[in-house]
Amino acid sequence: MNAQYKKGVLELCVLSLLTKGDHYGYAISDSLSRRIDIADGTVYPILRKLKSDGLLTTYLQEESGGPPRKYYSLTALGREVYAKDRAEYLSFAENVQKLLEDDAHDEN
Amino acid sequence: MTKTEYLDRLAAILKKNQIPDAEDILAEYEQHFAFKLADGYSEEEAAARLGAPELLAVQFEKRETHTGNAALTRLGLVFADFSFGLALVLLAAFGIVLIALSLACAAAAICLITGLNIAGLIPSMPYGCAVVMGLALLGLAVLTAVGCVYYFAFIRQLIRSFGRFRHNALASVSGKAALPPLPVRALLSVRANRRLRAVALIALAVFAICFVLGYIAAALSAGQLSFWHAWGWFQA
Repeated sequence: MNAQYKKGVLELCVLSLLTKGDHYGYAISDSLSRRIDIADGTVYPILRKLKSDGLLTTYLQEESGGPPRKYYSLTALGREVYAKDRAEYLSFAENVQKLLEDDAHDEN
Repeated sequence: MTKTEYLDRLAAILKKNQIPDAEDILAEYEQHFAFKLADGYSEEEAAARLGAPELLAVQFEKRETHTGNAALTRLGLVFADFSFGLALVLLAAFGIVLIALSLACAAAAICLITGLNIAGLIPSMPYGCAVVMGLALLGLAVLTAVGCVYYFAFIRQLIRSFGRFRHNALASVSGKAALPPLPVRALLSVRANRRLRAVALIALAVFAICFVLGYIAAALSAGQLSFWHAWGWFQA
């Protein structure tokens, strides 16, 4: 799939994961690459971009027996943007699906 | 590729591409390796799954090219500060008027209720009417006090919101991250809001009821609607 296109969708996926709670970078990378075929490293540039856009904040949390982990958390702006983008994506995906199904129907 | 090789290559490319906060990025990848190794992957496997460092490095955004001229932005902000300062003086002046109104109402109410007549400022009227009118003024005093609280909360939020705007304007020319803008509307806690509203409603009711009752009582005891004529309030 087109990398640029995928990146936009991945941003939405990252926001979606974070609506369910704060996570550290690896957890986000892991749960995304389990479900979507992407290189493990792709998530970190996305997290960084979302942070610089003000959709995420980070904080450090001490873990027993290890260096402190950097947790990512949605900001109020992030929640707002997610709700809007999610609705947009869902209606877009629905229309694309309809279009593609019509296409398959025509060929038969 | 081993972990060290991978991170070194990534570090070199990030530096070449002038990506800000490279150490921060590298720390994330180092942590990623730590997790992968703990899950039983080899360094080579973990590196292969991460993707080529060259491909990752280009996905990090470069330091934003400074849009706009920093000196011009600062100059513009000086004018913005000046206008905002002036507006703030006007807004604060009105706030002081509101406070004065509230205090004056409270003082007049106390004089009426306790029967104090300092320097003969309070016109003569039957004590019963004075008490009811005093209660009405007390209601008005509380009402304007609540107004003051809202008003100054609004001014405070205005100042914070302007500060955020200033910060973001400077951030946009120095390449720092912008913070989300703040709403201009005053943000009181739900509880404070509810209490203030209840107090304001009670004060309004007290003012309205006592004012009407006071007027009726005065009109009845003076025997005419314009009771101030009967009691000779405005005669020199």
